[in-house]
Amino acid sequence: MKLNIDGLLVCFPYDYIYPEQYSYMLELKRTLDAKGHGVLEMPSGTGKTISLLSLIVAYQKAYPLEVTKLIYCSRTVPEIEKVVEELKKLMDYYTKQTEAKNDFLALALSSRKNLCIHPEVSSLRFGKEVDGKCHSLTASYIRAQHHCNPSQPVCQFYEEFDAVGRQVLIPPGIYNLNDLKDFGRRKGWCPYFLARSSILHANIVVYSYNYLLDPKIADLVSKELAKKSVVVFDEAHNIDNVCIDSMSVNITRRTLDRCQTNVETLQNTISRIKETDAAKLQEEYRRLVEGLTEANVARETDMYLSNPVLPDEILQEAVPGSIRTAEHFVGFMKRFLEYLKARLRIHHVVQESTPQFLKDIYEKVCIDRKPLRFCAERLRSLLRTLEIADIADFSAITLISHFATLVSTYNKGFTIIIEPFEDRTPTIANPVLHFSCMDPSIAIKPVFGRFQSVIITSGTLSPLDIYPRILDFRPVTVASFTMTLARTCLCPLIVGRGNDQVAMTSKFETREDFAVIRNYGNLLLEMSAIVPDGIVAFFTSYIYMENIVASWYEQGILENIQRNKLIFIETQDAAETSMALMLNKNKISANGVRNIILIKCKRLFISFSFQPPVHHYGRAVIVFGVPYVYTQSRILKARLEYLRDQFQIRENDFLTFDAMRHAAQCVGRAIRGKTDYGLMIFADKRYARADKRGKLPRWIQEHLTDGSLNLTIDETVQLGKHFLRQMAQPFRQEDQLGLSLLTLEQLQSEDMLQKIAQIAQA
Amino acid sequence: MDEEPERAKRWEGGYERTWEVLKEDESGSLKATVEDILFQAKRKRVFEGHGQVRLGMMRHLFVIIDSSRSMEDQDLKPNRLTSTLKLMEFFVEEYFDQNPISQIGIITTKNKRAEKLTDLAGNPKKHLAALKKVVDSTCVGEPSLYNSLNCVALPSGTEIKEILVIFSSLTTCDPANIYELIKTLNALKIRVSVIGLSAEVRVCTILTRETGGSYNVILDESHFKELLMLHVKPPPASSSSECSLIRMGFPQHVIASMSDQDAKPSFSMSHLDSTGEPGLTLGGYYCPQCRAKYTELPVECKVCGLTLVSAPHLARSFHHLFPLEAFQETPLEEYEGERFCEACQGELKDKSVFTCLACKKVFCVECDLFIHDTLHCCPGCMQTDRTS
Repeated sequence: MKLNIDGLLVCFPYDYIYPEQYSYMLELKRTLDAKGHGVLEMPSGTGKTISLLSLIVAYQKAYPLEVTKLIYCSRTVPEIEKVVEELKKLMDYYTKQTEAKNDFLALALSSRKNLCIHPEVSSLRFGKEVDGKCHSLTASYIRAQHHCNPSQPVCQFYEEFDAVGRQVLIPPGIYNLNDLKDFGRRKGWCPYFLARSSILHANIVVYSYNYLLDPKIADLVSKELAKKSVVVFDEAHNIDNVCIDSMSVNITRRTLDRCQTNVETLQNTISRIKETDAAKLQEEYRRLVEGLTEANVARETDMYLSNPVLPDEILQEAVPGSIRTAEHFVGFMKRFLEYLKARLRIHHVVQESTPQFLKDIYEKVCIDRKPLRFCAERLRSLLRTLEIADIADFSAITLISHFATLVSTYNKGFTIIIEPFEDRTPTIANPVLHFSCMDPSIAIKPVFGRFQSVIITSGTLSPLDIYPRILDFRPVTVASFTMTLARTCLCPLIVGRGNDQVAMTSKFETREDFAVIRNYGNLLLEMSAIVPDGIVAFFTSYIYMENIVASWYEQGILENIQRNKLIFIETQDAAETSMALMLNKNKISANGVRNIILIKCKRLFISFSFQPPVHHYGRAVIVFGVPYVYTQSRILKARLEYLRDQFQIRENDFLTFDAMRHAAQCVGRAIRGKTDYGLMIFADKRYARADKRGKLPRWIQEHLTDGSLNLTIDETVQLGKHFLRQMAQPFRQEDQLGLSLLTLEQLQSEDMLQKIAQIAQA
Repeated sequence: MDEEPERAKRWEGGYERTWEVLKEDESGSLKATVEDILFQAKRKRVFEGHGQVRLGMMRHLFVIIDSSRSMEDQDLKPNRLTSTLKLMEFFVEEYFDQNPISQIGIITTKNKRAEKLTDLAGNPKKHLAALKKVVDSTCVGEPSLYNSLNCVALPSGTEIKEILVIFSSLTTCDPANIYELIKTLNALKIRVSVIGLSAEVRVCTILTRETGGSYNVILDESHFKELLMLHVKPPPASSSSECSLIRMGFPQHVIASMSDQDAKPSFSMSHLDSTGEPGLTLGGYYCPQCRAKYTELPVECKVCGLTLVSAPHLARSFHHLFPLEAFQETPLEEYEGERFCEACQGELKDKSVFTCLACKKVFCVECDLFIHDTLHCCPGCMQTDRTS
């Protein structure tokens, strides 16, 4: 259908639209009009992606000079594929409507591992290996050698692409990863490099967060993207953690050992080259004297996305003399390495700020701040000059050089923590140097600075005001949308007590309490008897999960649960878990009804790749305890302190915010769309408190009545039973029409527009 | 209590929050309740029945009753099993009342096994007796959907083949892949319907969707009854099934008068396999083909296989073929006229009123349902017929 959004004609590829989608598009349009940034929260399963795409594409078509490009960042490869799928639908609709040929180019970009079509390289298993192998076949000097010595292997796809493909533009269309591969195979061009060069003139680019946020990758890929782009971060509820991770460096003894080998290789190569081709090193020296003027000019003319690892100061200066020659630089790195090694030989925890660290390094090994700052840039230049093929081997020394640059550039926002052992194993020496970023705004600042509009959106962003604060930007629109429902298909319940009236909580003091563990077990047992198909149970940490499951086993609770459902317990190894699920999938579907309980841990975000693939896997989600972060962690403490000093966010506020967003993420899995339904059970007394409850997303909060707080187990069972029976009643599309699903005519009626206006809430 | 008199007693309804039913909807119509949707569906059912559809009158129905551990749950009083069996008795009677030439069979499943309680037969008495016996049995273990569906042996032919599963458990223990079995059922054109007693289970959804049956989950006991009664009405025959002529016998009831000296008491053929009550009777129905004697109808002749029915039986299923036309629904505001229902004489209070298209008389919702479901003729029209 064709919509009129505030004067803009938007083609929407479906016959029906949810009222909140309409409202979402209105807000989005305002953000784009104002050329500002926006924070938008809309529940999962209400069609965020298609609303975003249809509005921005329409905007691009209407004002091609205002918005030239859409950069859509998502988290995982399947999510990227899903976005492209939606985009295809939209474009099909456009062609059908206008009957003109589609002149839009949209493509997905992913790592070499997902795009490589070289028969040998693509068969490698790990991304790093693929990258390294690819580099050894496509680096410029390798290809130069190939010219004089044809036996030197090169990648024929890259050669072909370089010879022909660079000049030819990829024909307009929508390309997902497989389409790119097919196209590459047909033409004999390398799809990865094709995609990388094509994103410059593509109208829509879909890729992962790291291509924009990780300075190392962003520099390669996204540097030249146009200023007039709209950047969308989807599923952005933990964008601050992504930012922090991209800037933090962890150095272990193994890293240092590997770095040591790297330095030796460098040294050997340098002495070899010196004998054979001294002029090359001379050339490099000359270039370094001239300094990084080229990059400086580019930055001044605002051509590139700025890079937080390449600070402004070093652009204005030449590389300092002490590290200008290759041998000197290697010596310098050696000294730095030795210093780090010495620092790791400690028996107590050290925490210091970056100026302290710099002072110490100056006193001990006489390394100045200035050469440190040039470290990353200098190493890059050296590696280029030495023509070292396999960059992947040099990841250790690259890491160290990044650390050197960052530590000398930023006075604020970083902290250095050296721990002699892990908290869990206090007897085994395993020293780690955490160079931890505490300010997510450092990594994301170039993005906000460069692009016209940045949209941060997810199903769970509450409380909305905290994101602009920790990411340090001024949004023009901040809005949260509710889900309009024809029936109340979600049922949040807060269970606070067992049947014996003992409070249920994962509070530190009582978490080992026998009664609490038993009550948690009883809750799961009772729920497993009344909830059909799948239940997902979340715990706050792996250790806690293991403890509880072990004592359930001893008490025989586990056995009773198994009479109702199969149980899967997630392990720390994500691959193992997904493998187990895959293997048992046949069993699950064959057994049909005898379905599963997944016991999962929420704290470790990386492992959280499991999405219930179909509706019925998550008929109930139980969150045992409040998923607070491990508050004893020093990195966290430092970050909290920083937040308090810099952004005036109290520790407790941030901790609760963080815990609640994880909890909201967990229970959000229960609902995958408007026809889906699910119980959301918060099994901790503390959820009933106003400060926790108030931080849940609005679409969950509004279904949380006073009657569903602090329930006992049997009350929960009764309510759950009733809810599940109600939801099992036949529900057809016609029942939704006019309430939560609108046709074009209904959308145009006056009172519906009024209602829609109320949906968005700042 | 006044709003919903058909519901069970409050104290029997389990853990309910009466205040939530009365909740004012502040945001307008955004939160339509499930009950509202249900009501609409109820109305729709009435309408759907009124096309010119062919109905399958010769039904062969198997009822599978779950009697696993979960049937001991007391959310239906006194427990699920007793309540189900009570309703089943009612269902069997009603079924034969409405479908006099159909047959039924009953299977129970528990402890991972399926047990055939009664074979397909047209005599309600046998089924009722079997149902009464089950009441005392204990509910143990898990049900097995696969085994019980496998247990169903429906005669091949062009009759309407149905299975109704009353399923309380959330799990099933299957020896093999049930989805294969569902495919087989689909190929055999067996329609499987499920009434769930606890919640919507995925495998049942698939089972009913694939075989074209219906899947409902009960809300409470009265809703349970309603859902069961839905299965009393013959389903529309699929267009692919052929019409077939069936040979039937209409035996007359012969009562030998006491004055007739030759009259001797004799056994009925149906007593061949039942050893219960004394079987010597004077009169009975005699098969027009082979003169075998039966005391009850309808029955399939044990000797020559002829279906024996009585004419009134057939006549009773007549109304299925010529149903009463649906009444026209108009909102109460638009209706101008006296605000009382022609049938119950009560005041018209609901959102809409229903007008008979033939006699233009007005009825309330409840009466509309009653007329279409039970009476099958419009009281207004009857009146005008008589007066004219």
